[in-house]
Amino acid sequence: MVERATDCKPQMISMTLNGERVSIQANETDRLTDVLRHGEPSLTGTKLSCGIGRCGACSVLVNGELVNSCLLMAYQVEGASVTTIEGVGKGSLDPIQIAFMEEGGFQCGYCTPGMVMAVKALLLENPEPNDEQIVEGLSGNICRCTGYEGIKRAVRAAIRKQN
Amino acid sequence: MSKSRKRPDGNDKVTGQLAYLTDRTFPEMLYAKVLRSAYPHARIRSICTERAKELPGVKAIITHQDVPGVNGFGIITPDQPVFCDETVRFIGDAVAAVAATSVEVAEEAIKRIDVTYDVLSVLDDPAKSLAKDAPKLRDDGNVLYKKSFTKGDVAEGFKHCTAVVEETYHVPRQMHAYMETEGGVVVPEADGGITVYMGTQHGFKDQFQLSRILDLPKESIRIVSSPMGGSFGGKDELNVQPYAALLALKTNKPVKLHQTRAESVISSIKRHPMAITIKTGADETGKVIAHDVKIVADTGPYATLGPAILDFAVEHSAGPYRFEHVAVDGTSVLTNNAVSGEFRGFGGNQITFALENQMDRLAEQVGMCPLALRKLNLRGEHDLGPLEQRIVPTTGASDVLENVERLKDQLEFKKDLPFVRTGVGIAMAMHGGGLGFGRLDGAGGRLSLSDEGKIDVSFGFEEVGQGIVAVIEELTIAALHCDENDITITIGDTNRVPHSGSTTASRGTSMVWHALERMKQEFKEKLCEQAALITDEPVNDLCLGTGGIYKGEEQVLTYRSLREQVTSEANVVVETSFDFPTTPDEVDGGHYLYTFAGVLAAVEVDLLTGQVNVTHLHQAISAGEVVNELGYKGQIEGGGVMSLGYSIMEDMGMEQGHYLKPNFDTYMLPTISDVPRLSVDAIEKLPDGDVHGPRGVGEIGTVAVAPAITKAIHDALGIWINKIPVDPSTILQAIEKEGATWWNEQPIVSHK
Repeated sequence: MVERATDCKPQMISMTLNGERVSIQANETDRLTDVLRHGEPSLTGTKLSCGIGRCGACSVLVNGELVNSCLLMAYQVEGASVTTIEGVGKGSLDPIQIAFMEEGGFQCGYCTPGMVMAVKALLLENPEPNDEQIVEGLSGNICRCTGYEGIKRAVRAAIRKQN
Repeated sequence: MSKSRKRPDGNDKVTGQLAYLTDRTFPEMLYAKVLRSAYPHARIRSICTERAKELPGVKAIITHQDVPGVNGFGIITPDQPVFCDETVRFIGDAVAAVAATSVEVAEEAIKRIDVTYDVLSVLDDPAKSLAKDAPKLRDDGNVLYKKSFTKGDVAEGFKHCTAVVEETYHVPRQMHAYMETEGGVVVPEADGGITVYMGTQHGFKDQFQLSRILDLPKESIRIVSSPMGGSFGGKDELNVQPYAALLALKTNKPVKLHQTRAESVISSIKRHPMAITIKTGADETGKVIAHDVKIVADTGPYATLGPAILDFAVEHSAGPYRFEHVAVDGTSVLTNNAVSGEFRGFGGNQITFALENQMDRLAEQVGMCPLALRKLNLRGEHDLGPLEQRIVPTTGASDVLENVERLKDQLEFKKDLPFVRTGVGIAMAMHGGGLGFGRLDGAGGRLSLSDEGKIDVSFGFEEVGQGIVAVIEELTIAALHCDENDITITIGDTNRVPHSGSTTASRGTSMVWHALERMKQEFKEKLCEQAALITDEPVNDLCLGTGGIYKGEEQVLTYRSLREQVTSEANVVVETSFDFPTTPDEVDGGHYLYTFAGVLAAVEVDLLTGQVNVTHLHQAISAGEVVNELGYKGQIEGGGVMSLGYSIMEDMGMEQGHYLKPNFDTYMLPTISDVPRLSVDAIEKLPDGDVHGPRGVGEIGTVAVAPAITKAIHDALGIWINKIPVDPSTILQAIEKEGATWWNEQPIVSHK
């Protein structure tokens, strides 16, 4: 739970977080990002950058769908399955993550968790996207460092790796 | 060098495990917010914090009265108030700050601080600031700095010109838009000092500035400044460090301050908008004879590195060319707009846009191919630098030009689509590395064997995303013949690193290479001497290798075992300190090592909408040897796309001193769908006998992109662009003026 000034009532939210059933205390006004980052889970892999759903740094999967966690209230994920970057490549790295390292898909790394989540969502829906579909799938995620070329190379490599 | 090694910070970044400084929390941590000015220019009549103090959870409120030392910051001149006392001079000026038990309480408290102002007239344009009756933003007027350069006699030169081009160019206020906004945590320490966990591009400089503000000895301030989620020059100056530091000292609790994007937009520095008026003349052969440049930079109300940026723009006014008569007159003007400051390219991007446009216009007037005109005026290997100073010999200028010319000849374009025109443009740039002559530009590094038996490589640099950790790893492996598992890298912590100077000015790679060149022999010898004593092997038979010390192919001692058998006092530590190489000629700010870029841009222009779509961006870079292939490519590709934004999308507009674009919903950044085909050619060759190693490439990929794109638009439509970002309505108006309309689609100008 994030500490609040006002008298909002904390509530327990049950969800499946990265494959585990959890109950997390959250205020009615907490965004999903706040609860993940600052609440009990302390999962700071999910980043907050613009806070208005334009950059995708806070991307997570909710029931397999890509969402900006800064635009979702915590209570909206009651009963849902939430996957953050910490839930990707547990144990051994996901081919997407390996491809990002091998192809220069990141620099400062701040957009990377969100970008990896977007690629994950894209490949879950379509295991072999063409270049146009890659662009469409990642158009909600801003990277200021790479110029996206390394990211495109990484996605193409990830597609090859998973086959 | 293997060159394709994966970055050592890769695993933590792709898994989200890397703890950025803004991700950190500490027990009993408080949260801070800064109250910024309500007006771009006003006198403060009163500040009342009573209503805020009453709010439960508020632990401290501070204003200008709570600054024990100098109430100001600025890398060179501390003229930006930590907190304004009498006057606010831009909308991002700080008036007060609060520490509270939560972000929400701090936000609410800020709203309850009552400040009354007497509003003053706003100087939102350099022309207004320079008017005779303008109010003065500081006692000596509204000119922050002037810089000029003269060579020959331009008036005389123009008498011999048969072609003269005169134009005024306008370049925008670009925002860095690093993904991680400013912030972190400041922790009070038991000894009365503090540890500052906040990103910066020069930890020791922050330590110095904070020492001055807090009236604390430098030794009491530890700066942990790495890693960062991007900077691009934007976090070089202090930003929110003073507020969290003052509040941590006042409350004796850790204080977290992490700006929201909207707060970052308001307070952060931006790229200098400039108006550049140039008159350039050539004779009938295309030889440029006279070049007269006037630069007016909108620097906002405070200095930061505004003067140095103007120096850089003045220096690069004639770029890679040799003109007989040159006069440059630069003025950096104070306004009530955003503070302009350091940004990748450092004034070079602005002047290169203007210069390269002049070369293209001149070529048209003389009736020459723009490439031929460039070649005719290009510097040679042993020519003096742009300020007539001696520089390191280089063939970079002609090398990059030949590369893009070759590519241009090979390009094949799909036939024009209906209502779409295609075009190709070429531009080039020369860019100085390091801070320049007469500027404190010390560097250094350290090699030691850690208690764990690892070779610790230590530099006072920060990892902002550029990949300095990969460069350090790659160069250390090459220098010591060990492998990545033998190395630990220590950077970004003033308690643990030597002075290396700033992580700016494309100097990191170059300085790491120089430092290792100076240290490697001594380090290897000392380790081998110790190993010889332990193993009884002749020292001359020993050498360093993967995992330890070798005699021929056989490992005789691991690094760990070596370390275990040596006392702490005898442990090998090799340090070096030296200055970034500068020109031997006393030319203020003059550079010595230069890199070069040749850029080819291809565009499609939509005749119905005026939209420009860049379809191909190729960059040829001359910067010596490539250290890490992915890092090098990433810098040039990323820099290229950042400048594509500069060329056709990005402008942090301001009106009456207020920002027009509060966040990424209105300030448009390139997304993956805006990215053209990108290609990079590294020209690694350096003249024989060059002793300066690989040059840095952090900036060069951003410098010459804009003029290549505007020339490509000219190639497509015959329209000259003098203002970026290119406005589609300008294109539509120009199309209409030329008499072509979408229902009567005719070639506009036959120019191909």
